Amino acid sequence: MTEWGLEQASDGSALYVFAVCKDPEPAAFAGLPGVTTGERLHRLRFGELTAIVQSVRAADFTDEVWQVRMSDRDELGRYARAHHEVVSAAAASCPTVPLPLATLYHGEKRARQALLDETERFRAALERTADHSEWGVKVYAAESPVPEPGSDPIPPPAPAVRSRPAPGAGLAYLERKRGVQARRERRHEDALRLAETVDAAFQDVAAAGRRLRLHSPELVEKGHVQVLNATYLVAKHRAAELGALTGALRATTGARIDISGPWVPYSFVGEVQ
Amino acid sequence: MERGVVPWDSPEPLSGPLGVPLVDLLDRVLATGVVISGDLVIAIADVPLVRLSLHALLSSVSERVPAPWADGGPL
Repeated sequence: MTEWGLEQASDGSALYVFAVCKDPEPAAFAGLPGVTTGERLHRLRFGELTAIVQSVRAADFTDEVWQVRMSDRDELGRYARAHHEVVSAAAASCPTVPLPLATLYHGEKRARQALLDETERFRAALERTADHSEWGVKVYAAESPVPEPGSDPIPPPAPAVRSRPAPGAGLAYLERKRGVQARRERRHEDALRLAETVDAAFQDVAAAGRRLRLHSPELVEKGHVQVLNATYLVAKHRAAELGALTGALRATTGARIDISGPWVPYSFVGEVQ
Repeated sequence: MERGVVPWDSPEPLSGPLGVPLVDLLDRVLATGVVISGDLVIAIADVPLVRLSLHALLSSVSERVPAPWADGGPL
């Protein structure tokens, strides 16, 4: 790890920025590969703060390349984990503001200027997340079998005469349809209520909370429906409460509740002014 | 789909490159914490694009399960 004085890159290189830190330990990053090979991670001072950066080939990080990368799960996973590894190493050694995957500048000069311009926001983010961690909470309702539209949820009584519907068959059909609709609405309301209950309970412990997009059904284990994907900023001295809280919520709601953490507070550094 | 659940009382923070479910990691490293914008790769912060790509990519490798709510989900 060095702080060298590479000026505006004219050699087709770009500068990848992982995180912004306050007084990082150089040793924390020794041996981490970062997002490219053959280039060491290094520190870029700007004012009182320090960015953890790596020189990369600009051609490897163009929009077009990322479009392809985004559709290759292994490749995207590799970059996301390499990024996360550096961010986590930084956060383990000093107060850290993680930057999103693929934050790049044309060179050190550009990066330093852009980062300097945002110093106030970094400072606010550091203040907000100091002694806090992020915890993910996902809630799943049990999936009840949903009848296919048009199919009969209740087997109709065996008709004696197939060619002519029994009297009242139309009404029975409508009632079945209404029943399906009512059950669907009830399930929908139950899911909303479950999400609200769990969210409210975690908000009580957290300094802040955010709802993330729900994972698409394809990503969720069969038999479960994700009803909440949220993340919370929790003071470190309160993290021990999360286990008991989760246990109590599991007991009262009967729902599956997965909790993950502590995360570097990725989700709580972007909205500070 | 990998979905290693990290227990609440796990002694290890989620720092290692392994063990963190990719989908949860992507929820966090993709643009959720945008503080600044870089010079390159503007489109990666474009949320609709990210969603589209992620959908294509993640569903292509996971077991297809029919959507339980035809109307687009419970929320």
